Amino acid sequence: MLAASAFFVFPLIAAFEFSLRVNQGKSHGFDNFRWVFQQEGFKTNLGVSFRLALLTAVAVLVLMVPTVVYLHLGGGRWKRMIEFICLVPLVVPVISFALGVGTAFPVFLQSTVYELSFLYVIVSLPYTYRALDVGLSSIPLLTLVEASRASGASMRQTLLFVIVPTIRSAVNGAVFLAIALSLGEFTLAVLLHWDTFPTWIANISQGHILNAIALSVLSLVGAWLVVVVMAIAPKSLRSNKTQEATS
Amino acid sequence: MAQRTGTPKKGAGPLAYLSRGSTLKSLIPLMPFLAFVAYFLVFPLTFIIRDAFLSNDGKFTLDNFAECFKGVYGHSFAVSIRLSFISAMIGAIAGAMIASAVVKTGTRSRRAIAATSSVFANTGGVPLAFMFLAGFGTEGLVTKALKAVGWNLYSGSFTLFSETGIILVYCFFQIPLMVLIFTPALENIKPEWREASDSLGGGRFSYFSRISVPLLFPAFLSTTLLLFANSFSAYATARAMTAGTLPLMPLLIGNLVDGNVLANQEHLGHAMAVCMIGVSAIVMGIYLLVLKFSKAKP
Amino acid sequence: MSKKLRVLSGVIGLALATTALAMLPANAAVDASKATSAASFGGLDNLIKAAKKEGTLNLIATPRDWANYGDAMDIMTKAFGIKIVSDNPDGSSAQEIEAIKTTKNMAKMPDVVDIGLSHVAEGAGLFANYRVQNWGDIPRQWKDTNGNWYGGYTGSIAMCYDSSVTPAPTSIASLDNAAYKGMFAIQGDPTAAQQALISVFAVAVAKGGSVKNIQPGIDYFKSLKSKGIFVPVVANASAFASGSFKISLTWDYNAPGFIAQAASIGKTVKCTYPSDANVAGTPYVLAINKTAPHPAAARLWEELMFSQVNGKLAADLTAADLALAPSALFAIVMGGQNVYISGGASPITGPAMKAKKTAVSPPKVLTVPANLPGSVLPSLAQQNVASTLLKTAWPKI
Repeated sequence: MLAASAFFVFPLIAAFEFSLRVNQGKSHGFDNFRWVFQQEGFKTNLGVSFRLALLTAVAVLVLMVPTVVYLHLGGGRWKRMIEFICLVPLVVPVISFALGVGTAFPVFLQSTVYELSFLYVIVSLPYTYRALDVGLSSIPLLTLVEASRASGASMRQTLLFVIVPTIRSAVNGAVFLAIALSLGEFTLAVLLHWDTFPTWIANISQGHILNAIALSVLSLVGAWLVVVVMAIAPKSLRSNKTQEATS
Repeated sequence: MAQRTGTPKKGAGPLAYLSRGSTLKSLIPLMPFLAFVAYFLVFPLTFIIRDAFLSNDGKFTLDNFAECFKGVYGHSFAVSIRLSFISAMIGAIAGAMIASAVVKTGTRSRRAIAATSSVFANTGGVPLAFMFLAGFGTEGLVTKALKAVGWNLYSGSFTLFSETGIILVYCFFQIPLMVLIFTPALENIKPEWREASDSLGGGRFSYFSRISVPLLFPAFLSTTLLLFANSFSAYATARAMTAGTLPLMPLLIGNLVDGNVLANQEHLGHAMAVCMIGVSAIVMGIYLLVLKFSKAKP
Repeated sequence: MSKKLRVLSGVIGLALATTALAMLPANAAVDASKATSAASFGGLDNLIKAAKKEGTLNLIATPRDWANYGDAMDIMTKAFGIKIVSDNPDGSSAQEIEAIKTTKNMAKMPDVVDIGLSHVAEGAGLFANYRVQNWGDIPRQWKDTNGNWYGGYTGSIAMCYDSSVTPAPTSIASLDNAAYKGMFAIQGDPTAAQQALISVFAVAVAKGGSVKNIQPGIDYFKSLKSKGIFVPVVANASAFASGSFKISLTWDYNAPGFIAQAASIGKTVKCTYPSDANVAGTPYVLAINKTAPHPAAARLWEELMFSQVNGKLAADLTAADLALAPSALFAIVMGGQNVYISGGASPITGPAMKAKKTAVSPPKVLTVPANLPGSVLPSLAQQNVASTLLKTAWPKI
């Protein structure tokens, strides 16, 4: 564990140290970060990326959780097909995909930045599917559902109040991935000519290398803060109880 | 004991209605997903696939695909597949080891680690390249620190800009991805099973080989497949760090479709993209075979 | 005629004449997207007025510190009130063409492009015919006869190095020195980046090859790589900041920007033309999008980029200047061809400017060795041959 943390932490520290260099490298300070916040467009573009991330997370939850649950309950025969479909977004090169999107989508869809959210859902499919799939495979799903249905709950209630809390960590994983992806995605946004936080970073850091580094460290740390806060914010007592009951 | 998931016996239980009925009917609950994917994924792809079969004049041709398997393009299949396979294996094994350590911590820190992993799993491109160059490069912080304790990373022929170096850099996002997705599987290994196995006379090894490995194998394998695909398509980091000396499929496609030098060769690029989908289909087929074979064991 | 009749006919005549004059279509609304020169607008004044009305210009893949485009953008904004929207500054020529194809009918469509010569054929049918005022000064081989596209500027390969490197490299051949281990890089993949491709040509010329034969260059790269001198990292500012390379081959017009970037992190970079190779690239080509959302602004931009005036930069414009008539203001702002020079590039109308004595002096950041060989320029055909060879040879070095 220690070696692992070292491997991950050291490059981050190196980049962070770099972003702290000010005054032509002669001293350290937070000027580069202050500069970032002072730039025109910081709030606007950050807001755009936040909204995209939110929409993506909601869309992923609504689309994927019922789908994967169904695959584990009765739709097993379609599992292989869906699994392959969910792998495709990963292996299609993003530049080719962007080209296809640019050619295929009608103008009204390409005139809103929220087209990116739908595309981010697609791009995060491999990860979100796999996270939910692994989570669902490791719980006694059938027993839970049968018990819940036998107690009189509808399918919808079962889904919301029994299954989801039980696979909480898998759902969290899927949502975190979707959000982290949306906040940091660059290539699709650039090729579809949108201004999101990552593309704004690339634009304003032209010619300012220290600020560029500060910005990329900032976006990494920022994304991390967002998901960590979501992770350790207090959860409802009920879900804890449910988890204990099923273990 | 863990319940087997999958289709229940026909006609049994309150969920029987789900597996009865025609094939088409069983597709209905999947319609929202399929419709979404059909429009936002398949529709753009059809243009790429169509263009892969067209020549520059717009006529149907298979020449693009013939070109894919020749020369540097054909060679790139081997390089990409090999690199992705090794990266996936290292990421999977190291990630599984870290995941097993993570599982022993409390719920809150587990969620925090999951969140952190998701962010790391999404790093890439120029920022990741910079982090590694700033850390492990010839003038990197870590390199200097190691030199101070007597270990010169660069005394041999080690370089970050080779296949080995790229695999090392890829671990930065492969391992967290594995940790993130595999930990939930580990979380459901109950300690009671270990006690049961011990009380029946089984030792550590037999617990491992007869209980945890068979239970975890499908999840492990499927996540490894994901890691393979992840590494297979990774583009921006390698582009920043190898200046074309490592022929990887995504890089070559980038040169064809998006470059400043080669022009009028997008159709070949599209054909290569279709080939990438083909390779992943084959790899997935192998994965399914391995899974079937492992389940068939008594 | 009686006096009364004469006066009457005079008044009627005057009235008729005034009415006739009033009915003349003064400045009939010009369809800017069909304008083929400033004359189509009825003069530069009208062109500038039409551009001001549009108020925006969509640029793509145009970094501020590339051939000093930043200064030209500032002039457009300060002098003519046109807001610059800069999309995808690090983009490639292929992406510019794709952008035009995929953003049809959208407000974010690029108005103008700056692409490599190799991609002009791909843009067939996408550009508008337009001849700038200095059309005659553009060499015939670098423009389309109908005004569909025109070369803007060109550059040569220079060598930049961290001043802490000893001994200071003076030629490409001198790079074969163990003291340079882990230091030498080029701007990316020669089959993907124009700069890298022409760098390979420069190395070939330095090692006894020519624009027709780049094999000696490939062999030299192979040898340098095996000795650990050549590092396959993309030689951009962030790689330099992390110390991954200290010597690079780059376009001369990217030298000023690179030196400034290095200074911001406390490092001094020196740039020189290598004494054993003087290789120029084919010009980058400017063109106007046929269906540009801001056609007048697009044409004004081209007029500005080909203007040869030795004038004021945006920061030096006074309120009095800005109050001038549009064409008068145009005549006192720094012309684009001079902006290119101050960025270190060679403007396409360079020879004409020398004759007219309107050229500014190039920045003194580049050392020119006394025995610099004559300039050679690989043609598009030669570049295609080289890139085909490099496709297979480069991954093997």
